[in-house]
Amino acid sequence: MAYTTFNRNEFDTFKQPMFFGENVNVARYDIQKHKIFESLIEKQLSFFWRPEEVDLTNDRKDYIDLPEHEKHIFISNLKYQTLLDSVQGRSPNIALLPVVSLPELETWIETWSFSETIHSRSYTHIVRNIVPNPAEIFDDITKNEYIVRRAISVTKYYDDFIQLSNYYQQLGEGTHSINGETIEVSMHELKRRLYLTMVSVNVLEAIRFYVSFACSFAFAERAKMEGNAKIIKLIARDEALHLTGTQHMLQIMAKGKDDPEFAQIASECRDDVVKIFAEAAQQEKDWAEYLFKDGSMIGLNKDILCQYVEYIANQRITALGFEQIFPTIKNNPLPWINAWLNSDNVQVAPQEAEISSYLVGAIDSEVDTADLGDFDL
Amino acid sequence: MSAALKQRDNDSAGTDDEFELTGDTEAQPFELQPVVPDSAGDSQVQTEFFLPEHNPEEPDASPQIEFEGMPRPAYAVQLDDGRQAVFRNAHTLLESLEAQDIDVHYQCREGYCGSCRTQLLEGSVHYHDEPMAYLDDDEILPCCCIPKSDLKIKL
Repeated sequence: MAYTTFNRNEFDTFKQPMFFGENVNVARYDIQKHKIFESLIEKQLSFFWRPEEVDLTNDRKDYIDLPEHEKHIFISNLKYQTLLDSVQGRSPNIALLPVVSLPELETWIETWSFSETIHSRSYTHIVRNIVPNPAEIFDDITKNEYIVRRAISVTKYYDDFIQLSNYYQQLGEGTHSINGETIEVSMHELKRRLYLTMVSVNVLEAIRFYVSFACSFAFAERAKMEGNAKIIKLIARDEALHLTGTQHMLQIMAKGKDDPEFAQIASECRDDVVKIFAEAAQQEKDWAEYLFKDGSMIGLNKDILCQYVEYIANQRITALGFEQIFPTIKNNPLPWINAWLNSDNVQVAPQEAEISSYLVGAIDSEVDTADLGDFDL
Repeated sequence: MSAALKQRDNDSAGTDDEFELTGDTEAQPFELQPVVPDSAGDSQVQTEFFLPEHNPEEPDASPQIEFEGMPRPAYAVQLDDGRQAVFRNAHTLLESLEAQDIDVHYQCREGYCGSCRTQLLEGSVHYHDEPMAYLDDDEILPCCCIPKSDLKIKL
């Protein structure tokens, strides 16, 4: 029902479900119903970074030297990443905050979205550094038919849920007539759309992002665009955490831990979940076709990327307690990606090595006059 | 004190031998000089691969004091596809499996991403820190656990 920014009803905060209970009031974290969200917030805060801390001057040079078809791969991939984070930087807030009922989950959603805005800012940082006119790239995101096609599938579930949720907040449950249209608002349908939205978010974070990471790291594997890869590595670290958050929410729902109706919805929606995963995998394969339309790059081509899509889709759907959807794929076709995805978890004195955990000036672009000492003119 | 600190310009991660003290530069003490890479390919070496450089299943050079009459335990790790490993000295099950040529998917290696999620068919494990990733009752995260008994797992 109508959202209130400070709920004055008397209720037991810790008996609320994650969503569709009482609106939250006191932002308190002394006791938590689901401790995991507090841990996620702390972890995410400890990951804080700023894109400007990664030096991209060498990337500009690398980019200019790339052959045309590799420029297409790099830029298209970047556009896609920009689209994904544009969606994720706002949608969890708009869709989930009005219906959330636990303070620690509310804060996790805000922290999660905020970190996505850092990712969006870092794409601008990358684009600004490698091309003279960033507008060309950003403007194409809403015009390019391949990107638009993905935007529709990425946002469909969010939009369906937000639409119904808005009616629910204004009018409550029941059958309503608005502008001659009959709108049916039921709690069951709201929860069903919310569950499917979470599944689609999981697909976005768990499959779509990882396919784009593979492309970014394939350049760095050849010692090209390494600054970009450092930024993507930081983004991948955040995304791994968001993915864990979403998996927890989905599993809490599916197990009916705090709202038995969600357990029922989750079992009704099992086929839909498989369908969402399978569709996303197909879309990623179509995207691979577009990326490599003018030629492959060393270390990555359409077939390998498609195999990676299947591999990662298997990994992610089994994490939710489903069967693999591509049983023929057993091994990771891009074994080197593990090392790129791995966060810097070994402590090294920052002056000993240039590592991205010590971010400032992470790439050595310094040229000393002594370096040119043996030049003769 | 006449010593020049030489630093390699390729950033091989974090080992002490990156810095060499040499005593032959009387004229210009403390000047930083880049060392020419040992081989032409060195600049192509990708760094930031912070996997253990030593074999994690080799015993430590300076191990913890061991109690007499209590040998260090070794646990058999059996995979469902027939492969076998023995956990002895590694810090985590993941390191041990990798050292014995069993590839496990991984990302964070500290329990928050869930990439190495593995099914535990038999046995029990201990976590140094409770992992954050979602785990079903029969699942373990090799990146942050050690065996408490012989294990049977399914990757």
